[in-house]
Amino acid sequence: MTDKPGKPLILIIDDEEALRDGCSQVLEKAGYAVLTAEQGIEGIKLAREHLPDMAFIDLKMPNISGMEIIEILSRDIPNIVLVMITGFATIVSAVEAMQKGAYDYLPKPFNPDQLRALAKRGLDHRNLKIETKKLREEKDLMERNFITFVSHEMRSPLVVIRQYIEALNEIAGDRFDKDVKEIIDRCRKRIQNLEEMVKHWLDISRIEDGTFAQQKVCLSLDSIISLSVEEMTPVCRKRGISLETNISQKLPQIIGDAESLVRVLTNIIGNATKYTPEGGKITVTCQHDEYYINVSIADTGMGISPDKLSLIFEPFFRCGGKNEKHSGSGLGLTFCKKIMESHKGCIAVSSKEGEGTTFLLTFPSQIDPERKFSGTIS
Amino acid sequence: MTIKKKILLIDDDKDFLFATKLILEKGSYEVFMAEDGKTGVEMWKSVNPDLAIIDMMMETWGEGFEVLNKIRATDTGKETPLFMLSAVDLQGPYNSFEPPPEFPKVNKVLQKPIKADDLLNYIAKALGSK
Repeated sequence: MTDKPGKPLILIIDDEEALRDGCSQVLEKAGYAVLTAEQGIEGIKLAREHLPDMAFIDLKMPNISGMEIIEILSRDIPNIVLVMITGFATIVSAVEAMQKGAYDYLPKPFNPDQLRALAKRGLDHRNLKIETKKLREEKDLMERNFITFVSHEMRSPLVVIRQYIEALNEIAGDRFDKDVKEIIDRCRKRIQNLEEMVKHWLDISRIEDGTFAQQKVCLSLDSIISLSVEEMTPVCRKRGISLETNISQKLPQIIGDAESLVRVLTNIIGNATKYTPEGGKITVTCQHDEYYINVSIADTGMGISPDKLSLIFEPFFRCGGKNEKHSGSGLGLTFCKKIMESHKGCIAVSSKEGEGTTFLLTFPSQIDPERKFSGTIS
Repeated sequence: MTIKKKILLIDDDKDFLFATKLILEKGSYEVFMAEDGKTGVEMWKSVNPDLAIIDMMMETWGEGFEVLNKIRATDTGKETPLFMLSAVDLQGPYNSFEPPPEFPKVNKVLQKPIKADDLLNYIAKALGSK
């Protein structure tokens, strides 16, 4: 049997010897390599071994039926083109076969021209399908690289400007008077914000196209909260705000990426510190019921007006407008929302002007405590 | 007069080279600059610096590592402190770039931009312990 590369390989599964021989002759003459099998099991074995490009399968055979073979081959052999050979009386089953993944059907009796034509059409279809798939993959890769490329290209000049500012301060800092120093520092901060924005934009694009690196493991939210609170405590202390936690006992575990969840919490706590006056309080509470775990971050800050509240998760939306002194990247909460969505959770906000704002993170509790100890340990 | 220590900077961004050179000169180092990996390796051999700072992401994403390998393979490059520079957080497509296990030792990986004080401190430390 010929199995040369370059020659398309066709498998024929039929219990009629005359039909197998006839088809083999016609197809080999037409320049194809041909394999034949008398019955289903043997055919599937051959297909798994040789990965044919196309297969003609008789519907009516003893033991395993053509329909089952089609199901198995379309699942097991990538890009295989399957054709059902069938008598006139069973067109209904041929249609069913096509629904199960067959490309077409060939009614008996057929002549060599019909067989050749269908083989050619089927293989053309296969090539086109493979080509399309390849192009789509290339396009996806280009899009992904584009985001990285653009962000790298955008960050490079910003990085250089900040490096120049460092150099400027280093070589002449002691000669600058207070105003000059302040101007330089303001420039540095604005550049840093812009850099931050590019970074967040890149993160959000990555979450959207699925390339954001997350390591989802079984974890408990109390450790995430502790880490975040630890990270934010110095900022709060500096601003004279107290940061408290209130975590209920025995939290169910969730499946999540620790690093991005800590970023969500520090982002929200960081926002709270910007809008909470000295002497204020930020409270992180974590409670759960049978189905959900809720983490709330409540501050005693200035609050957000109702008309702005609905826009708060939109990219580049800023509560305080453009001249806000606490301006960040404008993408922090968009990032939080995307991360929560990637954890099958959600984020909500409620606020009262003059009293404070509360963010609520809701996670589905993914592990049933009843089954936690009976399942397999991976 | 004491002899100034020599530092080789390898980076494909002229401005970054210039800005960093100013900082290093303020720290009383003699600075040599190369704008690509090949020149960098050649200068390494001719200048024989006390320390080199190499950008990770030149031309191709791996070029910085190649330069590092070549420098570590020279007689003088075995013990000399080498710093790597990076401006990207190593995520997404960059994540796939894993240095091989026999990866030559990097003394420090610095994130761009680098604070002048930090840079000078790291260098002083690396050169002091030599």
